[in-house]
Amino acid sequence: MAFAWKAAGLTYNRYVSVASRVVRRSLKEDKRIAAERRGESDLRFAKWENGKQGENKSLNTANEAAVADAAGHQSS
Amino acid sequence: MMLSRAARPALRAGAAATTRPATLNATNAATYATLREIEGRLKSIRNIEKITKTMKIVASTKLTRAQKAMNESRSYGQTSNTVFEKAETKPLEGEGKKTLILVASSDKGLCGGIHSGMSRLARRILEQKPDADLVVLGEKSKAQLSRSNGKNMVLSFAGIGKDVPTFADAAAIADQITLLPTDYSSIQIIYNKFINNTSYEPVVIEAFSEEAIKESANFAAFEIDDEILPSLREYALANSLYWALAEGHACEQSARRNAMDNASKNAGDMINKFQILFNRTRQAVITGELVEIITGAAASEEG
Repeated sequence: MAFAWKAAGLTYNRYVSVASRVVRRSLKEDKRIAAERRGESDLRFAKWENGKQGENKSLNTANEAAVADAAGHQSS
Repeated sequence: MMLSRAARPALRAGAAATTRPATLNATNAATYATLREIEGRLKSIRNIEKITKTMKIVASTKLTRAQKAMNESRSYGQTSNTVFEKAETKPLEGEGKKTLILVASSDKGLCGGIHSGMSRLARRILEQKPDADLVVLGEKSKAQLSRSNGKNMVLSFAGIGKDVPTFADAAAIADQITLLPTDYSSIQIIYNKFINNTSYEPVVIEAFSEEAIKESANFAAFEIDDEILPSLREYALANSLYWALAEGHACEQSARRNAMDNASKNAGDMINKFQILFNRTRQAVITGELVEIITGAAASEEG
């Protein structure tokens, strides 16, 4: 069983978050604002190597870049 | 002179001066200074009490929200764990199996020892498995663990604990962990278990690898396709993470509430102590001045 989202390089969590974002955006105005707050995420992360902290990066942009990267690998 | 000396022990205690001033004038100058000093300290302690009280109220209101989120998140984690319980999944043991330790703390302090409790547990596990990798959520435990186990760190996350953690947070973190180059045979998530309002306990929940799930005893009963397995694993990791984050958040708020409650109480005690000292000192100054006036009047009458 092959999934289209898997072929596009998305992880299941990414797929779920995209789907939930779509559902939230299609809600009515008042409910939508409350629901969208549940979908917010503003984290930063850093990679460590040999006991040294790397650069602080935003998690969301990094994840999107990873997805784009994986998609590029799949298509080429 | 005798009278003023009798009134002075209290003064000296307040001034904490070891040398007795030579003249009466100098004594008075010293007491006035300490009076003002005591007043200043009283004022600053009152301000601190006000701050801690406000922080306690803020933490209390946040706590109710955090507890609600925790109860909701518990069903996520427990439901997804039921699968593994029923399948009797066990972490794989053996050579060359890498373990990932995930510490779910937060960015903010002023909440007692809940972060260090988790760091201690993490260090204990690391002693047994020195080659395990470490992922830390939150600045507090990061600072503690980077000093002792900096070499084991692979990822650290910041920005946790500003608000109630969302599932989007957990999913994003889980994604970043699955993107790590190493294949971990088991992921151990350390978080604070909420027992009641005053006690928490750092505990570990396991998130399993694909192999471990596949080799579990009752796995066949679920009829899971091999292709869906990675998805299940990712989703289970996100669920466990969300649970750990939400429960840890509730513990933190509750710990902060308690810490601020204690701080306010201590400030209250100190205010009482200083108020008494202040009153005594003031009384002593007045007595000293009266003695001066009376002796002065008596002396001038005689002369």
